[in-house]
Amino acid sequence: MNRSIPRPSLPALEHKAKWLSLLLLAVSLHVFEAALPSLGPWFKPGLANIATLLALAILGPSAAAMLAIWRVIVGSFLIGTLFTPTFIISLAGGVAAAIAMLTAWRLLPGITLIGVSLIGALAHMTVQFVTVESLFIHQQALYYLLPPLLLLSVFTGWINGGLAAYIVSQLKESD
Amino acid sequence: MLLLISLAGILYAWQWIHTEAGTGPAMVEIYHDEVLLAQYPFPEPGKIIHFEAEGELGISEIIIDSEGVHFSSSPCRTQYCISNGRHSEGGEIIACVPNRILIAIKGSRINGSHYDAMVE
Repeated sequence: MNRSIPRPSLPALEHKAKWLSLLLLAVSLHVFEAALPSLGPWFKPGLANIATLLALAILGPSAAAMLAIWRVIVGSFLIGTLFTPTFIISLAGGVAAAIAMLTAWRLLPGITLIGVSLIGALAHMTVQFVTVESLFIHQQALYYLLPPLLLLSVFTGWINGGLAAYIVSQLKESD
Repeated sequence: MLLLISLAGILYAWQWIHTEAGTGPAMVEIYHDEVLLAQYPFPEPGKIIHFEAEGELGISEIIIDSEGVHFSSSPCRTQYCISNGRHSEGGEIIACVPNRILIAIKGSRINGSHYDAMVE
């Protein structure tokens, strides 16, 4: 009886290994951000989004979307916020950012990683507010805080996109 | 181009919200979810208003004085609402999402900082 276990191809294994490496990077950045001194109850620099941008540029849209979801789940588990309001807000923001970034990547020809990151950061912040307003505190006064935080998101989205573009260019040079 | 459009949109929204929230005398409104629990004007210097807001997790303690309003204690785990500090300007908010308590400052302190209305 000679039953051989089907083995995945080398490119498929390489794809999985890269995805897992980026997931580890994303989770590490997620935990690191949680440990940073708070810059306000709603604001994080969004460093973990760099990993999603790298996945988008290196592995493609579906890998990037899965990475955004798993990053929030594993990261929240590690910092002890799984299934809390923080987790729900974080997941909604992360998924919205991923969808916005993938849509921009596909529909806007010639868009740079900085532009994609900017769109993702704005979507992330906006959807966090919509989630809080629709699920937790039903008060439109919440949106008073949105414009200043969107301004900060523009700034951090720009920096994160620049960092991701730099890393991708360095990886391409080393290939 | 994308950056300029984003910045222009955000600044316009900010200005609009500031105008909307900044009319009338300054009032501190405290909500639990959709329910307005209390509404206070800022007190005169030396006076302090202490309010206990009951939320999903328990009591959030709120202090209002002539300098502003802040959470002094909260049953939430993260304590972000307390670290958010004191706020005093129209259009500013402090929220405790786990306890579902929101403090919103409406009106302008320049146009008239004190009057006698209070709803509790």
